[in-house]
Amino acid sequence: MSDLWPRIEPLLASVERPARYIDREWGALHPIDPDYRVALVYPDAYELGMANQALSILYERLAAIPGVAPERAFVPWRDMAEQLRGNDVPLFTLESCTPVGEVDLLGITLPYEMTYSNILEILDLAGIPLRSDDRSDSDPLVFGGGPCAFNPEPVAPFFDAILIGDGEEAIAEIVATHRAGRAAGASRSAILAALAGVSGVYVPSMYDMTSGVAVGRDGAPDRVTKRVLADLDSVRPPVSPIVPFMDVVHDRMTIEVLRGCSRGCRFCQAGMVYRPVRERSSDNIVRDVLAGLWCSGHEEVSLTSLSTADHSQLEDILRRLSRRLEGSGISVSLPSLRVDAFSVDMARMLGGGRKTGLTFAPEAGTQRLRDVINKNVTEEQLLATVHKAFSAGWHRIKLYFMIGLPTETDEDVRGIGALVQKVLDTARESVEPAKRGGIRISVSVSTFVPKSHTPFQWDAQVTPEEVRRRQEVLRGSMPKRGVDLSWHASGVSFLEGVFARGGRELADVIEHAWRAGARYDAWTEEFDLGRWISALEACGVDPSRIASRERDTGEPLPWGHIDVGLSVAYLRIERERAREAITTPDCTFDECTGCGVCPTLGVDVILGGGGRE
Amino acid sequence: MSNGMFRARITYPKAGRLRFLSHLEVTNACERAARRAGLPYAVTQGFNPKMKVGFGPALPVGTGSTCERFDLWLREYVPADEVLVRLQSASPSDLAPSEACYVALRAPALTVSLTIAGYDVETGESGSAEDLQGFLDAVVKTGELVVEHKGKQKVFELTSTLPKEPTVRSMNGRVVVDITTRMSERGSLRPEALVMAAFERSGTGGSVLSVTRTHLAEEEEAVRRLL
Repeated sequence: MSDLWPRIEPLLASVERPARYIDREWGALHPIDPDYRVALVYPDAYELGMANQALSILYERLAAIPGVAPERAFVPWRDMAEQLRGNDVPLFTLESCTPVGEVDLLGITLPYEMTYSNILEILDLAGIPLRSDDRSDSDPLVFGGGPCAFNPEPVAPFFDAILIGDGEEAIAEIVATHRAGRAAGASRSAILAALAGVSGVYVPSMYDMTSGVAVGRDGAPDRVTKRVLADLDSVRPPVSPIVPFMDVVHDRMTIEVLRGCSRGCRFCQAGMVYRPVRERSSDNIVRDVLAGLWCSGHEEVSLTSLSTADHSQLEDILRRLSRRLEGSGISVSLPSLRVDAFSVDMARMLGGGRKTGLTFAPEAGTQRLRDVINKNVTEEQLLATVHKAFSAGWHRIKLYFMIGLPTETDEDVRGIGALVQKVLDTARESVEPAKRGGIRISVSVSTFVPKSHTPFQWDAQVTPEEVRRRQEVLRGSMPKRGVDLSWHASGVSFLEGVFARGGRELADVIEHAWRAGARYDAWTEEFDLGRWISALEACGVDPSRIASRERDTGEPLPWGHIDVGLSVAYLRIERERAREAITTPDCTFDECTGCGVCPTLGVDVILGGGGRE
Repeated sequence: MSNGMFRARITYPKAGRLRFLSHLEVTNACERAARRAGLPYAVTQGFNPKMKVGFGPALPVGTGSTCERFDLWLREYVPADEVLVRLQSASPSDLAPSEACYVALRAPALTVSLTIAGYDVETGESGSAEDLQGFLDAVVKTGELVVEHKGKQKVFELTSTLPKEPTVRSMNGRVVVDITTRMSERGSLRPEALVMAAFERSGTGGSVLSVTRTHLAEEEEAVRRLL
């Protein structure tokens, strides 16, 4: 293996933020004489990738396998990419400065659709052929996985294999299968065929896509069922993670306290594909938070999940942690709170006693539309929570909404402004007159993008022109003072919608746009919609047929061969109930809703009640 | 609980690859090392409680050091050699402290007291040490140096900025310039700027391979030692 450091070092004087490329962080591993190297690559800049918990989990799981060296790589910023190309230096792993093209396994996360152009940037900088079909035995095995793997088709030709679902257990099986194949002198295609036999692994090259339906060849299963870690407590979360020098997003210790969410919000892909709910026990959470803070030296810990406030033991956990961390200056935070589960006592235990901003997500402006999306939150609950928070001394609040939801009318859009006005009035009434001027309500309004494996997967996405019109309606309805309003650019949401539900035909489009200079599309200042429209035209793909068209529920879907355990009948029924604005309860607290996940995957809901310290 | 009763002074390097860290990145890393070391650090009072620390003058990205310092207030007394060992075992090796001692609680802040800094500037393709010495002397003799940084011009008056004449020496086949500067609230001269000005004057050019801070001193101490 070649160590590229002597060739990298001279480039660092002329690039921004060289800390992205130097390794040597606390917790980075440098095993001696590994015989199998894995490059874990996040398709964005270091400061975003280092916040990714999946990479941190896989890094630790890989390090536990004898002879295996997990290493990291990120997409170099444009200035560094230019330096690398100009000096003929390939993309390298941080830990050993090995060329990424020389590792055994290259794992690329699929965190969000707008990183797709960066996947090609990684492969090209590494000198690896962009398409699986063009790779030889000397190239690394290119694996994908992560949230976007649930509709893998747009990027399928760039990957040798893609893992669907939880990686904790699958990663070791993948490495073992690859090593065994190589030890036996098997060809690349034979190794891929063996990998197709690992539960949860999808090998795109082994599928024929005729008339929109995937058919597996040579023993590859017609449907790939997602991997699921049945018991979160069976795998300890990383408590000695890499501690970045650089100021990264979410620069804090994180402990995942539960996985999955069955609130059943009909727009939410994560809530559908990560079922069932599996809580970690409170004893384990308290133990791991304290161990993680001790090992990392972080000044803040976040208890993460899709809906942390839903953890059945949360108050107990926060009480124990605030007692243990008293006087240390270390604070505990949660990603967001639930309107219907907010308590001032709980909020006081967060943020190290500081009254930091509170975040709530009512999602829609009218009760009718909240019922359509199954967001079981009422206006009364929201206003009661606002009253409690502002009376107790908070003076800032952030609210998340969406526009473009199915069945939305202008009345619903104006309803957002009306609801924000009521929140503002309630907040003002809850504080002394002298403090009313300091009240701020941040309102963030995203555009709904229908996603695969949700009850809205058949629905039409609102066109960019209509989004812009509704954004104007929204602006007109918003109170003029005391509110900071922000929304998403309509072009980005449109493209996200195309990738979210498109098929393999989009791979050509992604390659075309990347060749035309598309990189870092998730960064507002780097995104160029025109470049993507030209690429779509050049490849003869009509994006509105993918994003803006309502599908018949019998139509084959590009992700039809990806099985997350949900029955199609459940999704259809949920869609019908949405049309009728009928809500569905959460099976964690109520009876089974028949989504199909538990029987199909052989798992069950796990709640974390248990012992005390 | 919040008021630090003991004030430890730590000396640490910024070496190897970690010279590419910014000042903020270094200070964060030191604070995290102190937490990992399990030291009974004091916390500031007020709205946003934080570890009570004070750092010496900032180093730019790319500049290394053998002699950085920070003060760490402790709630309980821990013998200085134990403070050192605990910090060493909790620090990345290129930032691992080399000394720890206690100083008076009322001692002035490091940013105020440390005004003199010495650097080794290692050069490449610079001609002979004697020639470079001549060009440096000529630059010093002009009395001022205009430095452009991020589009802004800054004028350094060299008699007060340079408490000691820069000297050039040969070391393992490399030409190294020893520069001592005085830092003030008006700014700190980057030593490589002086060397680059000498290269410009020579007409033949040259390059700076590395810059390392080799000592930091208080005014009186420096006057005693240097002058």
